[in-house]
Amino acid sequence: MTVPAEEPGQLPEAALRRLDEGAFTSGLTVPDFAACLQMGLEPVGFVQGYCVMQWQWYGAAAMGGGFGYQWGGVRGYSETFNCPHGMISAEHRSWGQNYEQSWIEDAWASGFTTGLERMIDEATAMGAHGVVGVVDTSAPLSDLGVVEFKVQGTAVRVDDGPRPADGRPWTTYLAGQRLAKLVEAGYAPVAIAAAVSSVGVWANCITQYLTEGAGSMYGGATPGAEIVQTVKAQTAARQLATEQIRRQLGSDSLHGASLTTSRRELGEGDSTVECTLRGNRVRRFKDFDPMPAPRPTVRLL
Amino acid sequence: MTGPEPLTPQGAAGDPRADMRAAADALAGPAGTAAGRMTSDLSIDEELVLHSIGWEPVELVSGTSMHSVPVGVWTWGQGEIGHASAAYARSFAGAVQRLHDACAHAGGHGVVGVHVEWAVERHHVDVTLVGTAVRPVGATGLGTEPVFLSDLSGRDFTLLRSAGWTPLGLAAGASFVYAPRRSMGAAMQQSGQNIELTNYTEAMYAAREAAMERMQTAALGLGGTGVVEVKVTEGPMEFARHAVGFTAYGTVVRLLPGGHRNLGAQMVLPLDDPVVSFDAASLRGR
Repeated sequence: MTVPAEEPGQLPEAALRRLDEGAFTSGLTVPDFAACLQMGLEPVGFVQGYCVMQWQWYGAAAMGGGFGYQWGGVRGYSETFNCPHGMISAEHRSWGQNYEQSWIEDAWASGFTTGLERMIDEATAMGAHGVVGVVDTSAPLSDLGVVEFKVQGTAVRVDDGPRPADGRPWTTYLAGQRLAKLVEAGYAPVAIAAAVSSVGVWANCITQYLTEGAGSMYGGATPGAEIVQTVKAQTAARQLATEQIRRQLGSDSLHGASLTTSRRELGEGDSTVECTLRGNRVRRFKDFDPMPAPRPTVRLL
Repeated sequence: MTGPEPLTPQGAAGDPRADMRAAADALAGPAGTAAGRMTSDLSIDEELVLHSIGWEPVELVSGTSMHSVPVGVWTWGQGEIGHASAAYARSFAGAVQRLHDACAHAGGHGVVGVHVEWAVERHHVDVTLVGTAVRPVGATGLGTEPVFLSDLSGRDFTLLRSAGWTPLGLAAGASFVYAPRRSMGAAMQQSGQNIELTNYTEAMYAAREAAMERMQTAALGLGGTGVVEVKVTEGPMEFARHAVGFTAYGTVVRLLPGGHRNLGAQMVLPLDDPVVSFDAASLRGR
């Protein structure tokens, strides 16, 4: 079998054979399947896209250009935190910086987008209008620094429906009744939206002291104070992810999002903050039907 | 051969096929330029149920804060570890303030479904709050009431409002207390006996009373009548066995002027299986 070629639309031969065989496959549970049929969505096949990336998150390889990083090539957010003390010693962290680790963001986006595009290629080849119940994961594979990106879903066709504007199938993380309710509420699924942002914290002396629970013998760091530099890095990471998503959204909305932030301490106050934002890009095609207030019930089991 | 009679949905509100067709038609056309886009981490159920009482999501908002805990406070001391309790209180208050500001900035009247992530580490306490800012449908600008924060879900918010109550904000309290080591004599005397270790019992009581008191004071400060869905954690700290902690937070609520309204819930006997929702794990046979 051949690896999916760089140019879109060219699928592995085995995939083409499988897609031609006639029977449909689907990752949907029976209730989700029933809900799809009920809303006039006909499953045409289980579609998938994979992309295995060499992945140097941290350390020299990334700093040295693992993903095209160059000093001076840092994109976007950076903020300098000067030490209030002046020259003390060579070991003293006389300045600190928060910086967007754009090479990490780009590597993630590249793996994710490649996987997603390959899945969409499969769906397009089947003549699908959309892909429901998308699952995307990224996990280490086989070796240190190797990450597999996976995007899977069930391609569907809208009964008697038109093809999407540019022939590109729409995608959504939702399936089944949740998707049916979304559509009934007046939202059309447009695409899955996901972004990862990464901010490095190169601690200045104050941040170092506070993160280690120390005060500063030179003043400027009160024990128990807020660790401003790290807080700003976290805030910036969430903002960067949100901005990335906003650029993907255009005039559409983001529904059912999940925003997670993780922080890894690297010692001496240094850390790296990562933020993942995922959700469904949706477009309003009709107003909310006025819905009566729901009736409260108590279940007898 | 004909199959069994098809099931006919009775009293179904809409026509899902027609809705899906309309959605597909919209996607076949050019993207609109309609303003009023929103971002939200609410589920469709929560959004629908909020809409039924006239509220809509505006924007996903967050707030975070992190305060330092001075070195050495966790070991060898007496009574409350004031630095740690203060770091928790300040971090929670800081995150609340930022969430508040983000909500007001987004034009929200309040935040529902706040996820509270917090961690007490040896040298710092971190608090992060993420939620969806909401407002009455179509409202512009700030409301007359102050911005409210609540970790209740959209469903709980709807229930609370329907019953004549309103959430006001998040109240938190924490206390970390040093459990003094027993004297050498006492330790030897008690060795081999099944006996209460009053130093730990007393430290737990002290921590709990102080934390609950702080949460209650915060609730009163917000003008609340009570706190619902309080989440507590208690026990020794992982990194300092002789320190115990008690933390509590919840949503402060107040009765609206109309007084409590009975929801008049109806008894139902469900005939369905538990709902099976789409789950990634089901693809992998787990």
